[in-house]
Amino acid sequence: MGNKQTIFTDEQLDAYQDCTFFTRKEILRIHGRYHELAPHLVPMDYTNEPDVTLPLALIVNMPELKENPFKNRIVESFSEDGLGNQSFNDFVDMFSVLSEMAPRELKAIYAFKIYDFNTDNYICKEDLEKTLNKLTKEELSAEEVNLVCEKSIVEADLDGDNKLSFADFENMIARAPDFLSTFHIRI
Amino acid sequence: MAKNSRLSLASASDENYTFCWRVFCAWDYLIGNPEAAESKGAACVAQSTTSGAVLISLRILANILVLLSLAGSIYIIYFVVDRSQRLEQEKPELTLWEKNEVSVVVSLITMIAPSAFELVSQLEMYHPRTSLRFQLARVLVLYLGNLYSLIIALLDKVNSMSSAIPVSSGNWSDSTTFLATIALPEEDGLSTVAPDAAERQNGTFLLGQEANRTRGATPVFLNQTALYGYNMRTPQDPCWETYVGQEMLKLSIIDMIFTVLSILLIDFIRGLLVRYLSDCWCWDLESKFPEYGEFKIAENVLHLIYNQGMIWMGAFFSPCLPAFNVLKLIGLMYLRSWAVLTCNVPHQQVFRASRSNNFYLAMLLFMLFLCMLPTIFAIVKYRPSQHCGPFSMLIYYLQAIARSLKVTNNQLRMQLQTGRYCGVTAALLCPPTARLQDTEGGDKKPDPEGHVTGVESCVRSGSPRRNSSVSGFESPERQGGGGAGGGVRTITQSAARPGPNRAQPGPTGPNRAFGASRSPSTPSVTQEHREEHTPNRHPGHPGGASGSCRSKSHHRVAYSPSCRHADSVHSDPLFRKSFRPAPREASGLAAAPCRFHTTRYVILNERDAPKQLLRSNARTPRRYHADELVDIVELCPRSVRRFPSPGPAPGPGPAPPPPRQRYQPHLDEEEEEEEEDEEERRRRRWRDAFASAQSHRPRSLSDLHQPPRPLHRADSGPPNPRGPPHWSRDEGPRHQAAPSLTESDSDSVASSSDQQHSSTDQYIQVIHYKDKGPRARGKPAKPEPKAGARLNVSEPNELFCSNV
Repeated sequence: MGNKQTIFTDEQLDAYQDCTFFTRKEILRIHGRYHELAPHLVPMDYTNEPDVTLPLALIVNMPELKENPFKNRIVESFSEDGLGNQSFNDFVDMFSVLSEMAPRELKAIYAFKIYDFNTDNYICKEDLEKTLNKLTKEELSAEEVNLVCEKSIVEADLDGDNKLSFADFENMIARAPDFLSTFHIRI
Repeated sequence: MAKNSRLSLASASDENYTFCWRVFCAWDYLIGNPEAAESKGAACVAQSTTSGAVLISLRILANILVLLSLAGSIYIIYFVVDRSQRLEQEKPELTLWEKNEVSVVVSLITMIAPSAFELVSQLEMYHPRTSLRFQLARVLVLYLGNLYSLIIALLDKVNSMSSAIPVSSGNWSDSTTFLATIALPEEDGLSTVAPDAAERQNGTFLLGQEANRTRGATPVFLNQTALYGYNMRTPQDPCWETYVGQEMLKLSIIDMIFTVLSILLIDFIRGLLVRYLSDCWCWDLESKFPEYGEFKIAENVLHLIYNQGMIWMGAFFSPCLPAFNVLKLIGLMYLRSWAVLTCNVPHQQVFRASRSNNFYLAMLLFMLFLCMLPTIFAIVKYRPSQHCGPFSMLIYYLQAIARSLKVTNNQLRMQLQTGRYCGVTAALLCPPTARLQDTEGGDKKPDPEGHVTGVESCVRSGSPRRNSSVSGFESPERQGGGGAGGGVRTITQSAARPGPNRAQPGPTGPNRAFGASRSPSTPSVTQEHREEHTPNRHPGHPGGASGSCRSKSHHRVAYSPSCRHADSVHSDPLFRKSFRPAPREASGLAAAPCRFHTTRYVILNERDAPKQLLRSNARTPRRYHADELVDIVELCPRSVRRFPSPGPAPGPGPAPPPPRQRYQPHLDEEEEEEEEDEEERRRRRWRDAFASAQSHRPRSLSDLHQPPRPLHRADSGPPNPRGPPHWSRDEGPRHQAAPSLTESDSDSVASSSDQQHSSTDQYIQVIHYKDKGPRARGKPAKPEPKAGARLNVSEPNELFCSNV
């Protein structure tokens, strides 16, 4: 297939390459995926930068995200309005951060955002409980959940405010051996 | 490695965020299918819910299972090696399976056990990374255990085989089976060249066998291997290194076969099945049970390390194994790279290889060290094969040399200790001690070496200076035994060389002396004498010794171990006695004079009553011997000169004195006591020698002999024509008055024989003592002589040494 494509201008593609960790081909492929989520909504020609967003419901049905317990939070974290309506830029951004090439620090930022359910920039105990419940599909008893959350906060909380700030979270997650491997979506 | 460790350290954590991680890192975002999600969820639940006690018990159970399997694998390997040994011994022909049983079992274990460990580790519910580490550690321990048990079992088998009785020819075919087993993989075409090459290294007879080791030429095999088997089966299992090398090579080959098979079966066929059967199968093969094979990086790396360990263990026994392994690894690499691209799916858990690089390098180093240990142990402990291998001759040869030297050393030492006294040397070197030490007389060994040894030892023991001078002899004799024997031997040998000169008459005094000294070369000559008078073997040697005394200087180097050994027993003690310094009473200084006597005896009369001489020697006090030795030694040079003079005058009476007188100045310093003792002994010996020599006295020396005879004993024995007998008679009282040792001289039973011997000896001694005699008479005072003797003794030694 030739290099001639009409979806994006060259400058746009260059911009995407600069801002994300994808190559031209991957960006085009991702656009194709974005398009097939809602073909009637997503134009094939993005040269004039249409303002199209896809709702959360569409995006979370992607096979890559379907089985993820945190899919809603993921999509919400990468949407501008915080409700999960993603433009193509958000879409690309999301997969870029979740890709293999993204650095640990960047992933930690967004992981923190994802696990911060109440978006108060702190992972409090409730956030932890929600995280755990989503993780275990609520098969744990309340005591166990409580126990795990308590222990987690005890472990990671450095400033003693009974919640995890981004600094605590990052400190903890930096030492996680398999954070990078688990916080990874391949598209 | 440094970069890796830096990265590892950077990410290393001292704190444990177990729960946090469990919450935030438990989910694998890559999970795309519902089943995996469910299982993952269940895993998370399980991790969170399992209480500590249950978890710990589960983990303990898992560890126990793993340990059991490790122990089981080690036992199985040992059992299989043992069984193969029994099979070889029992059955003439082994089947293919039986031949390769060991390697097949080991390879099977290395293939199956890691999967078993993985199953077990699911019980433990560790974090995936932790469980991976456990898995790696267990697999490594398994591999190490396998290799170790294999090599230890093989070496044990070698050991037991070498100690086993050589088996019948039926077992030869077993050895053929070894070759056959090697040939088989070759026939498989997997590694045709390398095993041959490997075998080639292993032994000379393998060369022929390799040439004949055609693919499947069993009859040829049998022929060659029969020979090989025979060699294999001889005691000490001459080619055990070959056997061990073969086993390692077999293991490497079969491991390669199994790896290839596993790649093809487990990855390729499985991939084919999953791809094409999933449509028509009950469940989705791709996502459920079989799935596609994963490329397990960690385990593959471990397998490489195991391969390396195998090579390190076998490289010493099979030098071509590394070359074969290179080919094997290249082939396997290409095969695996193809398989990964076509059959494998990536590992679910992205493998952080960079972090574990140091771990694998460290494992490799550890494996190298551990695999070197059995090889080094085998090198050190087991004797190399005698008939094959590069180390066979060299090491064994050196060992044999060292051993023989040690043996001779010990023999010499024993001789010295038992106390053969060679009068000349003893007297010369350690007169006082010589006297004291002549107790044993029992050393009837007409041992030239012993004699010489005695001389040497006496020389050596006499004084440190001497030792330095007599360096050649010192070392062996010092010990008294074998070592000295060696040195002595040389002397005697050199001394004995001129053996044939013995026949010559007195005028060839020097020759005679040499002849005497040539006793060793004369082991044959002296042997003759010896045969005639068995106990008087020494005679030749003593003479030789005396000659050797002189010849020492000349013939130090010449060494005839043979003689030494032959005679060492008897002569050495005498010598030793004679030579020991004063403190050593028991030493065989007496031996020395005895020997000397015998030597002289031989010279004069060849075979004259060596027994008698010995007997007299035995009885004669050491001191006497020492004196004799001293006299003899000292007189040797002079006697050489002197010989012509007394030679023509066989009469004992007149002839001896003049020489003595001539020698007197030299002997002035000598101890009179010594002279007395020596003269007693000499008399006895002359008597004996003369008596026996009567029969055969073809040599001119007989002239010399005769005169001394009368000297020995006024009482009996052959006439002592010469002065010496009279002289001795005169000296008799003096002799008796001399230290106790003299008495022993007079105790000789075979007085007549002794007389002969002594006469013989005396004759020689007379010659030597020509100066001594009158001097001795002239100086009745004992203390002076004693003191003087001691000094004199040293002097003669010195003199002797200087001559030497």
